[in-house]
Amino acid sequence: MEPRSPVARSIGLGNYVEWFTAPSTPTVVTATLVFTVATVGGAMFLGLGLALLLDRRLVGRGFARTVAFAPYVLSGFAVGILWLFMFDPRYGLVQELLGFVGVASPQWYTQRPWPLVMVIVVYLWKNLGYVALIYLAGLQAVPKDLKDAAALDGASSARTLRSIVLPLLTPTTFFLLVTMLLSSLQSFDIIKAMTQGGPLGSTTTLMYSIYEESFVNGRAGYASAVATVLFLVLLVVTAVQMRFVQRKVHYS
Amino acid sequence: MSHRPTRRASRRTAAAALTAVAALTVTACAGPSVGSSGDAEEATEEAVDWSSVEPASEITWWSNHPGQSQEIEQQVIDAFEAETDISVELVTAGANYDEVAQRFQAASQTDEMPDLVIASDVWWFRYHLNDQIMPLDDVMEHLDADADDFQPALYADYEYEGQHWAVPYARSTPLFYYNKDMWTAAGLPDRGPETWAELEEWNASLSAQVPEGGSTFGLSTGPSWGAWWFENMIWAQGGAYSDGFDLTLDTEESLAGGQFLHDLFHESGVATLSADDAMADFASGLIASTIGSTGSLKGALDAASFEVGTAYLPDGPAGGGTPTGGTGVAISSSSTPEEQLAAAMFLEFLTSTENTATFSQGTGYMPVRTSAVESDTMTTIYEQTPQFRTAVDQLADKARIQDDVRVFVPGADALLNDAIEQIVIEGTDPATAFESVAPQIERAYEENVEPYL
Repeated sequence: MEPRSPVARSIGLGNYVEWFTAPSTPTVVTATLVFTVATVGGAMFLGLGLALLLDRRLVGRGFARTVAFAPYVLSGFAVGILWLFMFDPRYGLVQELLGFVGVASPQWYTQRPWPLVMVIVVYLWKNLGYVALIYLAGLQAVPKDLKDAAALDGASSARTLRSIVLPLLTPTTFFLLVTMLLSSLQSFDIIKAMTQGGPLGSTTTLMYSIYEESFVNGRAGYASAVATVLFLVLLVVTAVQMRFVQRKVHYS
Repeated sequence: MSHRPTRRASRRTAAAALTAVAALTVTACAGPSVGSSGDAEEATEEAVDWSSVEPASEITWWSNHPGQSQEIEQQVIDAFEAETDISVELVTAGANYDEVAQRFQAASQTDEMPDLVIASDVWWFRYHLNDQIMPLDDVMEHLDADADDFQPALYADYEYEGQHWAVPYARSTPLFYYNKDMWTAAGLPDRGPETWAELEEWNASLSAQVPEGGSTFGLSTGPSWGAWWFENMIWAQGGAYSDGFDLTLDTEESLAGGQFLHDLFHESGVATLSADDAMADFASGLIASTIGSTGSLKGALDAASFEVGTAYLPDGPAGGGTPTGGTGVAISSSSTPEEQLAAAMFLEFLTSTENTATFSQGTGYMPVRTSAVESDTMTTIYEQTPQFRTAVDQLADKARIQDDVRVFVPGADALLNDAIEQIVIEGTDPATAFESVAPQIERAYEENVEPYL
C-alpha cells in the first residue's frame, strides 16, 4: 500500500487511543527499551574502553584506529546481510566459534530473545568505532599537567581515571549520550536487513513499527500517530537530558 | 471506467503522507487527503484509441528477477529490441516481491515510476486500489495477444470488476519436494505421500535416514510464504481463512487446520522449523522433504547432490488443493499511452508461447500459456526432467483460488503469517493465535478495502 489511505475520515484521537490500547504496544515498547538501553549503554561502555586502549602508545595505533572506525562508515543494510550469514545457526561463523568452546549455537533467527540479541550485537559492532573516536578526541584534550599532578600525588591509574579523566570527559559523554540515544531510537536498516521485525514482532522497535504500519499495512494515519509518539519520546528524552543530566557536566 | 472521484482526488497525497511520516505532523485522521483533481495526466486513464498511438522507443521494467532469472529476462529483452527497436531498461527493484512493491508505491507521484512492474499475487490488487496500474484487456485485444491462450486459472487471478490488471509471468504453486535417495533407503514407494497421515506413517522409517538435527519434513515461515503453503493445510481440514471477505478463522474446520499444523511440529515430531530457508536445508540433505515453490525447482535440481522428487501437496480428511502464486507483470497507469503501448507489446512478447517455455525451462515456473505446455520445447523438457511436469499437472488437478482475505486485504498475509509463526515457533494454541490477528485483519479490510468496493 502506498503510504497513504486514499480516503480521509476524521477520527479525532482514535489512532492514539488505538496505539495506547493495542496488544502489540507493550511488546514494541519493551523491544525498543531493551534495544536502546543495550545499544547506547553497551556502545558507550565498550567505546570508552576501546578509546582508552587506542589512546596508548601502541605499535600500529593508526591502523587500529582506522579498523575500529571502519564499520561505522559501512552501509547498515550490507552489514546486516553479512552478519546474517555469520549468525546462521547451522553454517555460520558464530556457530563455528561457539563450537570451539563447546557451546551449541542458539537459534538466532527463530527463538526469542536471540534475534533481538543478534540485532543488538550487530548494531554495537557498527557504532562502537564512532563512540571510540569521539572519546579518543576527548581523551586527548585532557590536560597532561593534571595527570602529571595526580601521578605526583601518588594516584593509581584507576584513581586518575575515576577522579580526573572521567569527570573531564563528561562533555563528551553527554554529547555521545544525546546523539547515540537519538540514532538508536531511529535505527532501522539493520533490523530491516536481518529480521524484518520478526519473529513474532520480537525485534519490532517503534521506528520499525512505523515503517510496517505505513508501507506494509498501508495505514498512513496510524503510522503518523506512532511517528508522533516516537517524536514526543525523543523530545522528552532530549529535554530531560538537557535539563538534568547536563548539570553533571564539567566544562573545563 | 468505474473509478471513484475520492480515489482520484487523493493521488497527490503520497508526498504529503511521506512528509507526515517523516516530519511527524500531529494529524489525527485515518489518512491525509489533499484535494486536487482534473490534472492533464489523468486524461491517460480514459479509454485510449490504441490504433492511433505510436509505441514509445524506451521503456523501463522493475523486476526482482524471480527464480534468479536476470539473464533470461535480459535475453528476452535483447530479442525484443532486435525485433521492435524498442529498448527496455531492466531495473533490479528489490530482492523479492514485497521490496519491489514497496518501492513501486514509494515512487508513486515521482518521475521515477517504471512502465512495467512485477505485481505478485498479494500486491496487484493494492496497486489497483491505489490507481497505479491500468486494465489490460483493451490494449491486449488491440495487439491480438490471444489472452484466451493464457492458462485460465492463472489469468483469472488478475481479474477484478471484469477487467484484468496484470498478465501472468512467473507463476508457481507450492510443491512437495522429497529426497529420492532417502525414500529408497527407507524402503518407501517412489512418490510423495498422498495424505498428510501417510507422511506421518512414513516418519518412523524416514527419520532413521536423516542426519543428526534433521527431520522427515521441514518448513520455513515468513511474509509472502507461510500463509501461502498453510492454505493447503487449512483447506485439507475443510477450513479457510475467509469466505469472501468474511474471516472464517474461528470455525471448527479452520481451527482443526491450525491444530494440524501445531501437531505436525509439536506432537508427531514429523516437522522442524528451518532457521532460514527450508530449501537450503533440503538441498543439503538435512531434511528429507519440504514444501517449496515451483520457482525453486531449477535451483534445487542444481544444488542437490541426490535425486530430487516432486509431488502434489498431500491431502487431508477434507481433500486439499493447492494455491497458485508467484507474480504477474502490470503496466503503470501514470505512463503515457505511447509508453503503455510499448509496454503492452513487451508483455505480449515476454509471455509468448516460446518465451514462457524458455522461462519455465530456466526457472521451473509454470508456462503461462496453454499452447506452451504442449509445445515441443516443454514436451522435451518434461521427458528429460519429469519434475517440471508435476506443477503443471497439479495446477490442472488441484488448483484452488486463494482465500480473498490473504490476497486482497493489505497486510493480511503478514498477519496470517504471524499467527502461523506463533503456532509453529511458540506452540501457541491455534484459537489464541488466530484470535490475536483477526481484529487487525478486519480493521485493515474496513480501512483499506471496504471503502472502494
